[in-house]
Amino acid sequence: MPLGTLDRTPPPFFRQGPSALTKLALCSALALLMMVADARFKLMQPVRASFALVLHPVQRLLLAPVDAWDTLGGYMRGTQRAMAAEDLAKRQLSAQAERLSRADALQAENDHLRKLLGLKPSLNVPSIPAEVLFEAPDPFSRRVVIDHGATQGVAAGSPVINEAGVLGQVTRVYPLSSEVTLLTDKDAAIPLLNSRTQMRNAAVGRSDGTGMELRFLAANADIKVGDLMTTSGLDGVYPPGLPVARVTVVERRGDSSFAQVLLAPIAQPDSARHVLVLLPQDRHLAAKREAEVAAADEAASAAAAKASARAAKKAERAEKAAAKASGAAP
Amino acid sequence: MIMPRAADQLLLPANPWFIAFTLLVALTIDMVPAGRLAAMPDVLAVVLVFWGVHQPRRVGVLWAFVFGLLIDVHDGALLGQHALAYSGLSYGAILLHRRLTWFPLGAQAVQVLPLFFAAHALALVVRMLVGGMWPGWGMLLAPVFEAVLWPVASVLLLAPQRRAPDRDANRPL
Repeated sequence: MPLGTLDRTPPPFFRQGPSALTKLALCSALALLMMVADARFKLMQPVRASFALVLHPVQRLLLAPVDAWDTLGGYMRGTQRAMAAEDLAKRQLSAQAERLSRADALQAENDHLRKLLGLKPSLNVPSIPAEVLFEAPDPFSRRVVIDHGATQGVAAGSPVINEAGVLGQVTRVYPLSSEVTLLTDKDAAIPLLNSRTQMRNAAVGRSDGTGMELRFLAANADIKVGDLMTTSGLDGVYPPGLPVARVTVVERRGDSSFAQVLLAPIAQPDSARHVLVLLPQDRHLAAKREAEVAAADEAASAAAAKASARAAKKAERAEKAAAKASGAAP
Repeated sequence: MIMPRAADQLLLPANPWFIAFTLLVALTIDMVPAGRLAAMPDVLAVVLVFWGVHQPRRVGVLWAFVFGLLIDVHDGALLGQHALAYSGLSYGAILLHRRLTWFPLGAQAVQVLPLFFAAHALALVVRMLVGGMWPGWGMLLAPVFEAVLWPVASVLLLAPQRRAPDRDANRPL
């Protein structure tokens, strides 16, 4: 159709193109194909990434009014509260500084003891600070979008934490942003360690989005309301020892051999703003091992080069000596 | 020719650039980060149905499909979920378009309500089959809000077509 306002061509009586029903059939078939390819075979990531790259500037632009609204709210609430918040932050900072210095000392001591015992050294995982842009509006899942993507080094599967504890895991990476699936999503699972009893378990998100639950925990298991659950580090994704959730409900029913245990995440997953993306543990280990191998290779090749240089020098010297000897003989 | 009763005025032809502009504005309204609410009305769906009814030769099933894909990527939903729902919506609009303009705006809203319900039900069924979470009963309100938005959208989107063809002192616009 022409782009002018008035359509001056006579109405097409015979050639109207495919009918609306044909188009609907075509589009539905294509949509079904895409859904299967996306859900079952995970083939649509390149298409998604290209669409996301197109939409990214618009998303950033639309954040401006929301941010402005927040700023305005902060301004209206006055300086009193801002000063109180700053005071609190300073006090927290000083408290943490004391803990940080102690943590450094403990870390050094721990490393030393581990070396003495011949244990593997504990990990220091590299991390990328990021900011949550917005909650993904899809009501069928619990996801947020952060402002760092593949170009900044975020990889799919990376754990995401904030100052309180674990938030979730990066599940889709786009060039300039990525999607984090929160712990409260139905498809999220995380291996846990009960810090009181050292019992291991795995938590999954509840299907109504109200928190997490432990499945298949024996009815007589030692678990109490208020127990702190931390990451166990068994999965090779989350580093061990990060706080995850607290037990809120323990229900032991006679008709079931399993206890129903509900957990509430410690980090409020939906209200987090500044987060830290960690490199997955196994990938970090692999990179470390690779670096070690590369360093060893380099050292070996350097040694070989030195040895060959020495051998060449020796041969040269021997040749010279031989030449001298042959020169002296006649 | 019999004039539709509700359309007591001969309308100017719609400018294609205006159609494109309103669709893009509706897309950006849908993309404003307002949190995760199941009852949030889908403005883009309303605008797509409106143009499907009033300009079925300009905005059809294929455009609805493309806009659906964009919304899918923005929402982080299953790729094709909104594309399928919008294609169905647009087809429904084309089916309705000869009948709908004969009614006043309130009656029109009642008639498009089942269309919006069907689109949301389709999305719900697809996501439940794939294994999504239950979004809550607030979801039932979204099509109602969309039907309530229908008269507003009709007044706003028909305004440029209602301008006087030749302006004078009594009709400045």
